[in-house]
Amino acid sequence: MLDIVTICGSLRKGSYNAALIRALPALAPAGMSFRPSASIADIPHYDFDVQAGGFPTSVTAFADSIRSADGVIIVSPEYNWTIPGTLKNAIDWVSRMKDQPFRNKPVALQSASIALLGGSRMQYHMRQCLVSVDAHCFGRPEVIVTHANQKFDEKTLEFTDQQGRDIVKQQLEAFAAYIKQFNR
Amino acid sequence: MSNVITICGSLRKGSFNRMLANALPALAPAGMTITPSPSIEMPLYNADLQAEGWPAPVIALGDAIRAADGVILVTPEYNYSMPGVLKNAIDWVSRLKDQPFANKPVCLQSATMGPLGGARVQYHARTTMVFLDAFVFNKPEIFVGMAQNKFDEKTGELKDEATRSIIKQQLEGFEKFIARHKAHND
Repeated sequence: MLDIVTICGSLRKGSYNAALIRALPALAPAGMSFRPSASIADIPHYDFDVQAGGFPTSVTAFADSIRSADGVIIVSPEYNWTIPGTLKNAIDWVSRMKDQPFRNKPVALQSASIALLGGSRMQYHMRQCLVSVDAHCFGRPEVIVTHANQKFDEKTLEFTDQQGRDIVKQQLEAFAAYIKQFNR
Repeated sequence: MSNVITICGSLRKGSFNRMLANALPALAPAGMTITPSPSIEMPLYNADLQAEGWPAPVIALGDAIRAADGVILVTPEYNYSMPGVLKNAIDWVSRLKDQPFANKPVCLQSATMGPLGGARVQYHARTTMVFLDAFVFNKPEIFVGMAQNKFDEKTGELKDEATRSIIKQQLEGFEKFIARHKAHND
């Protein structure tokens, strides 16, 4: 069984990215399970002076959830052409830990946005950050859900776009194989 | 004459970037005043929270940026990009009506203990500033690498003469950049 932890970069209830995460189990290959990471909503603002007094429990919980996973999928909107501050703040905190949780961790990226580039700029900036934390960042296929408002059901937020569903399926299958090569 | 604010991307007291921001007034050309922005500590961005009303620190930072002739971001690099705390503040003010960075002269500086001095954070910040439609100053760029050797850790003073000299050049250039921008927009 591959235990996948999902990290959502948006906090709002009606988030398309949260809706994309909810769509994953039905699109995953056999033997892949999903659980959300510990919340990033309650992590304080990164400040070395706070860190010096000890890592907050919200940070250690988030780190533990990453460490215990076989792989991580970051699903995030793009804010101002890059990573949401909320998500980046969570990464900034755990990057300071001794047993740094992203090190050698297989990570895949997904994004949804209502605009036409689908969050791709966020993903390429995130790839640069993942070099810094020494993660194994999965390559292709990329999941970039453009015009999200047309691809999720307006009421139920179900991911209805067949082409998008197919790409997600392909990514999850390939990500499973990618993770297994590190577990040999 | 210009009134410029600095936005510091680090919260810790002993921050090299705060030391850098504090060094600027003494290096500024005549007629340029440089003061720190209000706090960038605001709740983590959530559109549901925004729907309930703008938090006071968001309004305060937005107002300070609008009121300034120019903004200097002085920030560390975290994980090869912008600190989440700084980006969170930008994410909030970017949603304000009369978006404060629009058409605003912005200049970048960074200090780190590594050799690159924050180059990666600056190029990511430039990407964001395109979206925000800011008017971003080009050269000279200020990358203070090996910051631990360039500041007096006790007094916080910027001692490195080469760095002081290039900052002077940047601030002079930024003053002209602001003046040109003002003339064009009047």
